[in-house]
Amino acid sequence: MSLASGPGLGGSSPDMLWADKHVEYIVSLDKRDDEYEYWLTEHLRLNGVFWGLHALHILGHPTALPRDDLIRFTMSCWDASSGGFGAAPDHDPHMLYTCSAVQILVMVDGVSVLDEPAEPGSSETKRMRVAHFISSLQDRETGTFHGDKYGEPDTRFLYNALNSLSLLGKLNLVDVPLAVKYIDSCSNADGGYGTVPGAESHSGQIFVCLAALSIAGVLDQRLKDDSKWADRLGGWLSERQISTGKGYGGLNGRPEKEEDVCYAWWVGTSLVMLQRSHWIDRPALRKFILSCQDGEHGGISDRPGHAVDVFHTHFGIVGLSLLEWSENKDGEASEPLGLEEVDPVYCMPRSITKALSRTG
Amino acid sequence: MGKYADSPEWADVVPISQQEHMPAPLAQIAYTDEYAEAMSYLRATMASNELSERVLALTEDIIRLNPSHYTVWLYRFRTLSALPTASLTTELTTFLNPLSLRHLKNYQIWHHRQLLVSAIGSYEGEAEFLVDMFAKDAKNYHVWSYRQWLVRHFKLFHSASELAFTEQLIGEDVRNNSAWNHRWHVNFADGDGLSDSGLVAKELEYAMGKIELAAQNESAWNYLRGLLAKGAGVEESKVVQFAVKYAGLDGGEVKSTHALDLLASIYGKDPAKKESAVQALELLADKYDPIRAPYWRYRLAMVNSGVAAS
Repeated sequence: MSLASGPGLGGSSPDMLWADKHVEYIVSLDKRDDEYEYWLTEHLRLNGVFWGLHALHILGHPTALPRDDLIRFTMSCWDASSGGFGAAPDHDPHMLYTCSAVQILVMVDGVSVLDEPAEPGSSETKRMRVAHFISSLQDRETGTFHGDKYGEPDTRFLYNALNSLSLLGKLNLVDVPLAVKYIDSCSNADGGYGTVPGAESHSGQIFVCLAALSIAGVLDQRLKDDSKWADRLGGWLSERQISTGKGYGGLNGRPEKEEDVCYAWWVGTSLVMLQRSHWIDRPALRKFILSCQDGEHGGISDRPGHAVDVFHTHFGIVGLSLLEWSENKDGEASEPLGLEEVDPVYCMPRSITKALSRTG
Repeated sequence: MGKYADSPEWADVVPISQQEHMPAPLAQIAYTDEYAEAMSYLRATMASNELSERVLALTEDIIRLNPSHYTVWLYRFRTLSALPTASLTTELTTFLNPLSLRHLKNYQIWHHRQLLVSAIGSYEGEAEFLVDMFAKDAKNYHVWSYRQWLVRHFKLFHSASELAFTEQLIGEDVRNNSAWNHRWHVNFADGDGLSDSGLVAKELEYAMGKIELAAQNESAWNYLRGLLAKGAGVEESKVVQFAVKYAGLDGGEVKSTHALDLLASIYGKDPAKKESAVQALELLADKYDPIRAPYWRYRLAMVNSGVAAS
């Protein structure tokens, strides 16, 4: 999956979704391995596969990439000795890619490959080894998680851990209440969250903290008990929508920063989890995302006139799904784009996470 | 043939190429020849866990070709730590500083720096270097996170030079939310600051002074609201007196939606001021901030039902 940007520029008419073009664009990325940028972005390869595959699911083309190749590539990034996945074969294992790997395997209904022995003759399964890799990265004093055994802590990694462990059915391996306590310690005076205590509020970090609270099973109760908190945070998130100028309708990630398509997800899903997504102008946000499409070659860019890439294509598509489905739930009519529903907590197709919760 | 294959220094190492090592049909990785060769020697030295001078040179080569390769950074730090001759300060000033200025979005660099500065045990020269970094991007999240780490690690809370630094950056761009956040961190993150009513009053004056420069600046209003919500001894009437200058009700001039928002919050708690709160929120929903109209209407409903919104 190439993470190189282009060739096209976003800047399409804001009235329609070029779904088929986006499918073609994503599938073509798999064949663009002869470019300089391709290996420069090697450290994101497994994430790139996740973004491409998930966008295809939401676009209604879940089988557009070959399933066997996806499983083979994902497992080629696995490091048997540690139990974690790297971004690409031979890369050090890391939380980010381990989470992407588990999500990919679940999406292609291939997670059973992890039920094989970790090594021939071993009584331990690959699943257990992956779960132990993730749980070993929890700081047992503070509750947060590191990205790898040398690296810095980040609430992003805490979310990755809870997400992937719950998908594996192994959440019991970590101290969830301590993780919740850590998230609370990252809460700022403006209601938002950062990477570590005291770090600036950022809507990407707000997403990971709220989603982690949800997986930990405490979000619903908090929304009932502390509506003032949800109001303040929802108000801060609503302020992210740009109300003047050419970015009108788009969202930024922090106060006084520029708009970017990817915040349609980070801000949008946080508002959905807080049950306050109707506080922003959803039709204006939809128009902004659609205006970042390349209607000719497919793909979505960060803002109109910029080069498209798989990261923004993914977050644009899931952002549109979020808008469509949240509007439906609120009984607000919008032109249907025909997208599959995305799960706001897991960032995966709702149909798949629903099936998991039935069996799990 | 290549730089390493031709070098007598590397003659004892058998490189491990990617193809031999692992087939990867989807997302096969295409390298330039130079990078592919260096990587094949890296795989070999990592496999034998070699920690040597030549590994430092090799990792430097690879980092220059691809600074986002997180594996190689970790290996480099391990090697530096194992070599008695390696100078961590030189690593910082001659290798890492110029590289950081070229690769602004890279976060491996900042983690490497944290490990080095931690091991050196001094932050001498760091403030000077960060001035250059912020000159490139004054809102860079990695660099600010690193600076907050310095404050925590070396206990620089309430440090005059840290505060002067935030003052300088806010002076250059009063909308720099990262600088405002850092100011909050230095003043209040150690836990004592918010109960010091003298400090809170001083910071309130500071925020008001900055709002006078740009009435619609969300960062300064958020700072002020944080003080109001959490600081000791804030006189609410003084804040109201200030905010009405930017949000005249009863047909007066409105220069800031944030001022209207703040007045609505304060008035909303006082049943005698309910009408003013309603007026402020209606102005936001209908006239000054209609893009968030459902939010303002929600707040309106809260005020009307007698539940004070914060």
